[in-house]
Amino acid sequence: MDAVMSFFQSTMFTLVVQATWQTLVMVFLSTIFSMILGLPIGILLHVTSSEEQGGIIPHPVFYNVLSRIVNILRSFPFIILMIVLMPLSRLIIGTSIGTMATVIPLSIAAAPFVARIIESALKEVDPGVVQAARAMGSTNWQIILKVLIPEALPSLVSGVTLTIINLIGYSAMAGAIGGGGLGDLAIRYGYQRFSPSYMVSAVIVIIVMVEVIQFIGDRISAHLIAKR
Amino acid sequence: MQIRLRNLKRNYASLHAVDDVSLDIPSNTVYGIIGRSGAGKSTLVRLVSMLEKPDQGEVYYDDKRVDNLSKEELIQERRKIGMIFQNFNLFSSRNAEDNIAYPMEICHMDKAYIKKRTAELLALVGLEGRGSAPISTLSGGQKQRVAIARALAVKPEILFCDEATSALDPQTTRAILSLIKEIQKKMNLTVVMITHQMEVVRDACDRVAVLDAGHIVEEGPVSDIFASPKSDVTKDFLSSLTNVHESIVRWSNDGGHYTLRFRGGATDEPIISTVSAKTGAVFNIRAAGVQTVNGEELGVMITDIGPDGKTAAEAVRLLQDMGVLVEEAE
Repeated sequence: MDAVMSFFQSTMFTLVVQATWQTLVMVFLSTIFSMILGLPIGILLHVTSSEEQGGIIPHPVFYNVLSRIVNILRSFPFIILMIVLMPLSRLIIGTSIGTMATVIPLSIAAAPFVARIIESALKEVDPGVVQAARAMGSTNWQIILKVLIPEALPSLVSGVTLTIINLIGYSAMAGAIGGGGLGDLAIRYGYQRFSPSYMVSAVIVIIVMVEVIQFIGDRISAHLIAKR
Repeated sequence: MQIRLRNLKRNYASLHAVDDVSLDIPSNTVYGIIGRSGAGKSTLVRLVSMLEKPDQGEVYYDDKRVDNLSKEELIQERRKIGMIFQNFNLFSSRNAEDNIAYPMEICHMDKAYIKKRTAELLALVGLEGRGSAPISTLSGGQKQRVAIARALAVKPEILFCDEATSALDPQTTRAILSLIKEIQKKMNLTVVMITHQMEVVRDACDRVAVLDAGHIVEEGPVSDIFASPKSDVTKDFLSSLTNVHESIVRWSNDGGHYTLRFRGGATDEPIISTVSAKTGAVFNIRAAGVQTVNGEELGVMITDIGPDGKTAAEAVRLLQDMGVLVEEAE
């Protein structure tokens, strides 16, 4: 009993809880912001793609330029993108270190990934259904909001799950340049101070987080499919 | 509503999908457009239903030209037509009644009205009480019924059926066709049915146009086309029909140099005996049957005529005089 009590009162426990909270905040905020950035880009990519790909407003030039930009952003190693975007964080938040400051590079790094996920989810929608909606006199907005997104919802939920899990990984890296969170804890205490117990606890918390998110995402997606 | 097509052309790369098609589809009828796959049916229906613009030519709904409308006008005009498809194309994210509500939603109709109209439409297509059913739980026939209800939601004057029964079994096909005919009468619709199945034309259409390689090769009332087909394509369609249809009894697989087609009153008269008595010709009947085309009886007989060529020619002439269509196999 005493051992258990002393564990909960230990510095390590306090630090792990604090770091977990920071990671959750980082992941939560950057998921939201990367969706805000990535969702419109993904929709734009899909609707401007060629007719064979299911585009409803095909525009090859626009599509190719946007697609190229997304690819370039995706090929940036995250750690470099973070350093490049430090001035931007300073501009918006006033500082380039700390949990809040890392949300900006995290969101921007994940946005092109989100855009591709959204694009491929929308591409799966049966073109016949889109044709029917168009034949009934739907506007492009109505096709996007009332047909494409609802029809693709189960895949979109899976995509969001994947994004969150990716962001957990990214956020651990962000810790390395002073962002706080579980990655930071693992590196500073576990690696630099040679305390494997910190390293192990950080990794365990991350594993649990990933499992829980995957489980919830799968359940929501399965529930949506079962209703159909 | 009457539909007029004038010299429609649509090319894909070097392929003339639709090549100089002119048609008058009269108001308040079931009009069939039949063709083999690749004949240009799908392109034609996309042109007529304003889903695609022709390279050349004009499409009129009554006196309104609809092939050169602006984006906004096009959306308004499309809201006045109904369309059903081979694969139903229902929204899987919506249940039956929400599918039917969709065309009304996009026109921003009143919610209470939508609810009332949806219930009416479900009853019209024979799906009372199934409104909350997810689409995946419905059978093919039921899905097409939901699609019909959805197409009729905004009280269109035109209903396009693009291979609407091709994914259904024969029994369900008949049920769906009779539903379409019934609704056509009730709502005075102009129904345009695109199909590759002669059964559909026979069972549901008043008039038919036969499409081949982007051209209309034959057009007219269904009973005329069945009684006296002119083009080879039409004859092909008809022969596939006589072979599969159980009303034709074939008791010999070989022979059958002549195909005789009788229509209407001629089916009641003792034509063969009369001709035989007058010319001395002998008939060796290989296959025969009667089928009902659009309410009219049509007889088909595959036979050899003897004893010699001269007598046979005389018999054929006499048969033709009596209103029988005679086709000679090569």
